[in-house]
Formats: sequence, structure tokens, C-alpha cells
Amino acid sequence: MSKLHAVEDPTDWLNTSLSCFEPLEAALRCQVCKEFYDTPMITTCSHTFCSLCIRRCFNSDGKCPTCRTSDQADKLRRNWVVQELVDTFKAARPAALKLAQTKAGSEDDEAERPKRKRKLEDTDIEEDSFEDTRRPRRTRRSRSVAHGTSQEEPIELDDSGDGDYDPEEGTTLCPICKSRMKVGLVYAHLDLCDGKPVNNNGATRARTQPSKPKEPLPPAARLPQLNYSLLKDNALKKKLQDLGIAAHGSRALIIRRHTEWVNLWNSNCDSSRPRTKRELLRELDSWERSQGAGASTVPSAVMKKDFDGEGWAASNKDQFDELIANARRNRARKEAKTEEREEKPNEDQIDSMPTHQPEQAPSISTPVRHDEIPNPYEGNEKALSIVREKVDEANSHGRRLRSSGQPIPAPPRDEERPGSINEGPPLDEEVDANPPISSQQPSSQFVPISPNVDMSRKAHMFRLPEDPIIDTDGGTSVS
Amino acid sequence: MANPASKRLFKEYRGLSSDPPEGITAGPVTEDDMFLWEALIQGPEGTPFEGGIFPAELKFPKDYPLAPPTMRFTCEMWHPNVYQNGTVCISILHPPGDDPNHYEHASERWSPIQSVEKILISVMSMLAEPNDESPANVDAARMWRERRKEYERIVRGNVRKGLGL
Ligand SMILES: [Zn+2]
Ligand SMILES: [Zn+2]
Ligand SMILES: [Zn+2]
Repeated sequence: MSKLHAVEDPTDWLNTSLSCFEPLEAALRCQVCKEFYDTPMITTCSHTFCSLCIRRCFNSDGKCPTCRTSDQADKLRRNWVVQELVDTFKAARPAALKLAQTKAGSEDDEAERPKRKRKLEDTDIEEDSFEDTRRPRRTRRSRSVAHGTSQEEPIELDDSGDGDYDPEEGTTLCPICKSRMKVGLVYAHLDLCDGKPVNNNGATRARTQPSKPKEPLPPAARLPQLNYSLLKDNALKKKLQDLGIAAHGSRALIIRRHTEWVNLWNSNCDSSRPRTKRELLRELDSWERSQGAGASTVPSAVMKKDFDGEGWAASNKDQFDELIANARRNRARKEAKTEEREEKPNEDQIDSMPTHQPEQAPSISTPVRHDEIPNPYEGNEKALSIVREKVDEANSHGRRLRSSGQPIPAPPRDEERPGSINEGPPLDEEVDANPPISSQQPSSQFVPISPNVDMSRKAHMFRLPEDPIIDTDGGTSVS
Repeated sequence: MANPASKRLFKEYRGLSSDPPEGITAGPVTEDDMFLWEALIQGPEGTPFEGGIFPAELKFPKDYPLAPPTMRFTCEMWHPNVYQNGTVCISILHPPGDDPNHYEHASERWSPIQSVEKILISVMSMLAEPNDESPANVDAARMWRERRKEYERIVRGNVRKGLGL
């Protein structure tokens, strides 16, 4: 656990006076690697990832990880604004976090997070909806702050006499003219850069010169992907040798090595802070070592077979034991109740139930779309009406329509959703075996949450608390 | 930790331990190996799984998150979408195109932006709502469809057994 908190994480903001910074920081991180965007690139479908991450994804299946649109690496474009947001946020982070922590535990915050664990409806949201609702907005003001001075004036490097000023810190090289400048200035500069080094005065220049001479930076020419199937082994090896990378190993390994090299190289070309070829070679080497023997593009279906069942160990044992002890206690308490009910003839139960069963409906109703924002339907009349329609439809059938695999769409998608592919058993049959659960039940006891029950009690997805909600199409489908 | 996969897994571990979703506990078996995790899932309320705690293990491929992990319950699990050996068969654990049945919408499949957390939450809801279209356990699926009470009795029995009652 010790290493754990050495790593910066959006959750650092939780339980500080700035818990609202958690989603902000999460939005500044790549969904693939969970790090702050490194050389963010935007796809043709307008999703943004680190250059290296998205290139690896494209190699893997040629699709955008977020929306599954087919796309290609050579269509990627740099997303300077995101880079700038990340850089400025990272620079501000330590001071802001420190301040927020010293004011931690304010009442407001306590009220917001009464429990250690999140409710499931707070759970991660999909990038699509994310962008609509929580994307940090860039204000005019921030723009002028970032670019104001630099637009017209020549680049000025901080030459103040601050004792602890590190000339390299917070600076970067322009990828085109290789001038060193403050990170925040490089974007504005890039719009104007003509490739000639920026004319700084002598003193500044001397101070900001890289202290150790570096190898020439890789030229910005991107490497093409190869059509490996057209290359014989020897020709392929020759390609690798020409690139200056190792050419040993099996053909499969060589192909993977080349692919990774192209990714590393091309993402380095995208970067505003390119590394040397030697650094890239080192990275390639460490990538190769980390892939190990099991490195696979082998589908994980294959892995299913070598499950040995010995993995279950007990490092989190204390926590687990506690959970289990709790569950046992409550189980025992519940047992009595449940057994009582089980003795009753089921017909009685059905009869005694109201025809509308708001408390019952939850266990079979709410489509669980965990990655949804809490109230995707709020104010979305179009989506709401679709949901109402589905609810009505389901009610009139008096049947539960089994999930056809697609959750209730947040915004209605363009494609037609499959209808009642598969009909479940009659509603009442499904319901009867579940002991009625009162939503008024005090929750002093341990209540294992169900995403279903929990969300529908609050009618979160629909905001239609007075209607019985029947799942028409929801749920997570399973294969 | 140069491997992008172990880096990413460490980040997920970090996030899950600081801000765990309700009813879910998960982390690597040892911090030296990010590729094998253990997880505990609470049975969803209002289902026969209610009150139970279900242990599982997750194995991650070296190219995670490009490829999904596999997940296996290490307790007795009677469920249409869980193989007899405990292996979970759910859409989020399959990349698109990996499913011969093509029942599932691609958006629910594995993608590098999915996560351990999303898997575990999906599995939790799978407990509540089995999908009997392409069952991993045909007998459990049939029983769930045709003899619901018997199905629920078995599940409740497993819950009690799991808790040592
Ligand atoms: Zn990334
Ligand atoms: Zn996309
Ligand atoms: Zn320039």
C-alpha cells in the first residue's frame, strides 16, 4: 500500500475542500492509460487520447476506443488546447492540492460524501456524456491569459533573478525551430513559428540553453506502417536494420517490435517535447522486456483455459474478513424473515401484492447503465418520451422483455434498437420468489447494494417515480 | 513498472482503493504482480444473491487494456452466465468480434477505455439480471427460465455456504 499514494490520482481531491476537482482532473487524463494526456491527439470522431495510446489502439483493432469508429493513425491531429490545459493544470496542481487539503473536511464536503463508498450511480461515466456535461469549459479569460502576451511580443524567457529558478523547469523546445521556451508559450508560438530560432537576447539564451548537448532530435518525418504480409523475412529484417532497431527474433516478434517502434517514433514526432532516438530505443527495449513470453495479441479467450484457480490469496484479507463477517451477521438476521415468507404459499403473495409494485419492480427493472451520468434524462424530453413509451409498452404486455443486449440509450442513437427478441417469463412469476422489500425499510443494517434496486428507488434513470418501471431492453447483456 | 499495462493497472488499483464503488472490493493479490487481482462482489439486493459476498479472481493479459482480463469466481456460483469452473462470460469481457453469437452490441464490449471497475459493476448487475441468450451454464439457464424457485433456492444455498452459515 505504501507505493500506492505516491502516485498522483484524481481521487487525491476527494475529502479535500476541492472535491469538485476530482472530475476535472479525471477529464484531463487519457482514458486509455489514465495518465495526464501526453501529446494529446484528436481522432476524426473527435475523441482525444495520448498519441502513443491511440496509435497502439489503432494497431490493435483500428477503432476509436471510445466510440468504436474506424479510424487511422495518419488522420490524427494534435490537440494543442488539451495539451495546454494539462500543462497548466499540472503546474497548478501541487499548490492547489496543498491548499485544498489544509481546508479539508469542511461541512459542505462532508455532506457531499457521507459514505466511504460511492453510490453506484456516481460511477464512471462515458466519455460521450462526459463531454456534454462535465467538460471543463475554457473561458475567454483563460485564453487571454494563456496567449495574451505571446501573440504579439517576441518570446521572452523568464530571466528574473529568482534564486531557485531552474532554467529548464517548465520549459520546452519548439518542435519546429527547437527554441526553448516556457511550456505555456509554445502553443501560441507554434502558430507563428517559421522554423527560425527565436531571437532571444544573449543572456537569456545562455541561461536557457540545454545544459548537456543532446543528440539531434529525430526529424519530424513519421514512419509509414508496413504491410507485413507483403514482406519476406529478409526484407523485413532489412527494414528494421535500416531503422536502427534490433532485427532478431521470430517473425511475429519482429513485426510487433516494428509496430511498437513506429508508434513510439510517430508519437514522438507529434510531441511538443520530443525525446532523442536513444531514449526511444531505451523505451522500445523496456517495452519489449515487459511484454514477456506471454505477450499476446492472443485473444483472452485462450487465457480462460489456463486458469488454475490458485490465484485466490489473501492479501486484502482483513478487509475481506470484515466484509464477510458483516454479511454473515446480516444474513443471519435476514434469514428468519426470509424463511417466514418462504413458507407462505406463493399465490397468496402474488394476490396480496398491489398490481403496481414499485418496491418489486426494482429487482427486475432498472437498466443498469453504470457508466451513465446520474440523470441523463433530466431535461431530455426526447429521451424521456422514449423511455415512457418503453415503459408503457412493457406494462401493456404484462411481460418482461428480456434484455436484447442494449441498455436504454442515453441519448437515442441513430440505429434502431432491437425489439423484443426474446421474451422472458411472465412478470409475476419472476417476482414472486423475491421477498418484498420495503423501500421504507430503515437502512441501519448492512444493505448490499444492488445497482438495480438502488437506482430505481430513486428513479434515477427516469425520474418517473410514480410509474412502475419495467425493463424493456436494459441491463448489461451477457454472452 | 515500464510496462504500460502494469502502469495502468496500478492506476486503477489506486483509484479503486481511494474511492471504491459500493459493494465492490478489488486489488492485486500482491503489489509485485499487477496481472492477478482478487475481487469481492456483494450480492445485489432484491435478488437471491442478496447478502452474499462472492470472491473472484481477475487475470490480465500483458497487453491490457488493449485486451480484456478474464474473470473467474472462486466460490460456488450457480448462474446462467458463469461456467461451472467459475469463469464469467459477459459482454464487457469480450472484444467486439470475439463473440460467435453476435448478440451483444459492440458498445458493451471490451474497449481500452473500460476498466476493472466497470467490469465488476457489470458482473454485479449480471447477478441481478442473467442473460439467457447465450448461457455459459445451460442447466442454470434452463432452471432460471423454467424453474425459477429452484434456481433461487440453489443460489440462496450458495450464499449461506459462502458465508459459512
Ligand atoms: Zn494515454
Ligand atoms: Zn471516437
Ligand atoms: Zn518555432
